[in-house]
Amino acid sequence: MDIIKHKKIFLIIGAGIVIVSALIVAYFGLKPGIDFTGGSLMEVTYATLPEKAEVESAVAALSLGGADVRQSAGDEGAGYLINTRDLTDNERQQLEDALLSLGTEGTVARFTSIGPVIGAELADKAVWAIGAVLLIILCYVAFAFAGIGKPVSSWIYGFLVTLILGHDILVPVAAMSILGFTLGSEVDILFVTALLTILGYSVNDTIVIFDRVREKLVQNRTEHVRKINEPGGVVRTEITHTLTKSFADIVGQAVDETMARSINTSLTVFLALASLYIFGSEVTRTFVLVLMVGVLAGAYSSIFIASPLLVAIEQHLAKKKKTSGK
Amino acid sequence: MSTTSRETQTFLRLFRAVVIFVVIGLLSWFVYQNATDPKATHPFKLGLDLAGGSHLIYEADVSGIEEAEVPELMNVLRDVIERRINIFGVSEPIVRVERSSFVTEVPIERLVIELPGVTNVSDAVAEIGRTPLLEFKLLDPSLLAQQQALDSLKSIATTGAAVSNVTINGEAVTEQDPFTDTGLTGRYLETARLEFAGGQSGQLANEPLVSVSFTPEGSALFAEITRNNVGEQLGIFLDGELLSAPVINEPITGGTAIISGGFTPDEARELAQNLSFGALPVPIELQSTQTIDATLGVNVLRDSVTAGVFGIIIISLFMALWYRLPGLVAAVALTMYVIITLAIFMFIPVTLTAAGLAGFVLSLGMAVDANILVFERMKEEYRAGKGSREAAETGFNRAWSAIRDSNVTGLLSAIILFWFGTSLIKGFALVLGIGTIIAMVSAITLTRTLLVALPDVKRNDSHFWSYMFGTGLVKK
Repeated sequence: MDIIKHKKIFLIIGAGIVIVSALIVAYFGLKPGIDFTGGSLMEVTYATLPEKAEVESAVAALSLGGADVRQSAGDEGAGYLINTRDLTDNERQQLEDALLSLGTEGTVARFTSIGPVIGAELADKAVWAIGAVLLIILCYVAFAFAGIGKPVSSWIYGFLVTLILGHDILVPVAAMSILGFTLGSEVDILFVTALLTILGYSVNDTIVIFDRVREKLVQNRTEHVRKINEPGGVVRTEITHTLTKSFADIVGQAVDETMARSINTSLTVFLALASLYIFGSEVTRTFVLVLMVGVLAGAYSSIFIASPLLVAIEQHLAKKKKTSGK
Repeated sequence: MSTTSRETQTFLRLFRAVVIFVVIGLLSWFVYQNATDPKATHPFKLGLDLAGGSHLIYEADVSGIEEAEVPELMNVLRDVIERRINIFGVSEPIVRVERSSFVTEVPIERLVIELPGVTNVSDAVAEIGRTPLLEFKLLDPSLLAQQQALDSLKSIATTGAAVSNVTINGEAVTEQDPFTDTGLTGRYLETARLEFAGGQSGQLANEPLVSVSFTPEGSALFAEITRNNVGEQLGIFLDGELLSAPVINEPITGGTAIISGGFTPDEARELAQNLSFGALPVPIELQSTQTIDATLGVNVLRDSVTAGVFGIIIISLFMALWYRLPGLVAAVALTMYVIITLAIFMFIPVTLTAAGLAGFVLSLGMAVDANILVFERMKEEYRAGKGSREAAETGFNRAWSAIRDSNVTGLLSAIILFWFGTSLIKGFALVLGIGTIIAMVSAITLTRTLLVALPDVKRNDSHFWSYMFGTGLVKK
């Protein structure tokens, strides 16, 4: 499979994925949870489950504003999740009493109430955190690849990595959008955690490929040393390099050589996540699912988008240089 | 190279490998002991979502307070709340002051309270929000003497022996509260401030005192009480505890009272502060509550362990099948990684949460990445005709820059995650960060040492060994 030769196809597929994901997010949107909006969530489990209608009327009788009652089948057994605005301690007590009087052996498994101010701060922090991670990775890559020289500057590598990361989180966000639409999954602090984890992880694949490109660039070049006599008797040495292979070939080779590694690493992480999804706790299931989507997106994008894009940029730059050089 | 030095080298290689196994063996014994022994010195620290408990966030209203004074007042607030919680008997409660991050326009001062094991949050909230109760009660000295006699009788009575039908001076004694309520409480208080005694009326010179002044209503009540009970003792109670019981010498109409109780200056200042601010140095309001039942956590813990064990098995199987002998070494190194990381979780200690456990299982998949990078490099060298040992060394050297660059970004995002997250997410960030470092270090030390301790094989050597250093599912 010659990825670089067919780069147009892969770039079109990549662009397609991005557009479809963006459309999904725009159309379905995300359902923010109480972590960001503020509100309360109570989970009550029962030995014998009362009817949902019973629970709903019991909650409605308390006039706590709009309440959303959902059945839950968590680790604790069957129960209900009751979502309301953030409650005072008194209101919480009332709600608890009302719910425990239903069914048999009711227990409050968990209760969370978050004030709107704290929620808003967390939402702001999430945006800052994601922005900061992207910026730091851009700078780190630009810095780590600083000596890479021609034909593409290290800032382009950094910029590319950041762009690819945009793809890598857009896909799981779209997945979350679909989950929210179909299952009512809400965006919570764990979702943002998953995104930040994906950012830190999926950049690895791209970096490893670029690292190989860097190595190949040094291997496949000839050095020209030219001594220039400057006025005043100073001799300046100018070193230039010419690549013995085309940039596209070098990148293509780097991708081929790192392919096994990219696939295997993503596979082991995916296996760990699959194990978590199947055997792990209900609490982190959506979190794990988002991570799985992110890992797949990251593995795909580094091989099939990052490298073709790098070559495309180089060719574009070369063309521009040619026309301006005339 | 002479034969002897080659033998020494071989010995050293094997010796290092053995040392690793011994150290890891000891470490795993340490982890096992601490994980199973109920009286362990370094047990796993479980977060509220696993151990059960409550997490409360209060917002402090610091408007109208000089900015320079805010930190100190917040510390006073924390101390007061901490004391109230200690009455509650919670083991290892956490009370800390937190300032909102820079993303909020106006900084918000918060008090974060974690109460492990407390799921009845109403009681906790009531205890925390309680106003210190100042009460004035009249004392009947003879009843007090009786009570003290009864108490001392009870204390010397052998365990289980009932004290009943006690007579003192020929009179039957029953338990009776020697104090009678006067109706005067801290509710009628206007201000309280720290003073130092001038040395008159039996007080020690320079003894720290708290002087309280009453509202007009309170002053009237106080005057009436003192007028009707000259010569008796007035007990002053704080939170149900007798501080002092001065004798009423004359009716007090000025509306001020002095509380002395052998305070240190700091105690007196704090009491004055507590009393005059009503409850606390700054008013607080409950913003967020989180209560998690302990049974929920037990299930999460069990499921996470299952997922972790399956994760290790399936990743090890994959590595051994694909990379054969080096893969097997990676599987051993992965097990060592688990032991080292768990030991570090115990040492620091890292608070484990549901997300943190998920992060740990995730890190198992990431931890072998450095190994994979090296093995892929090694494979290239091995195919090019180098011996397995030399191929391994070259593989490590060549893969280093990729290992470093890819792990640094992971670490950087873990640091930002730590800043972003609430306490439960901080656990995840810490687990991920520690995991990344240990994975990197264990790949370049453990895997490397174990790998070079294996026999040196060339590709066209006997079938079995050269197969063991090959890659892929079937082919040589």
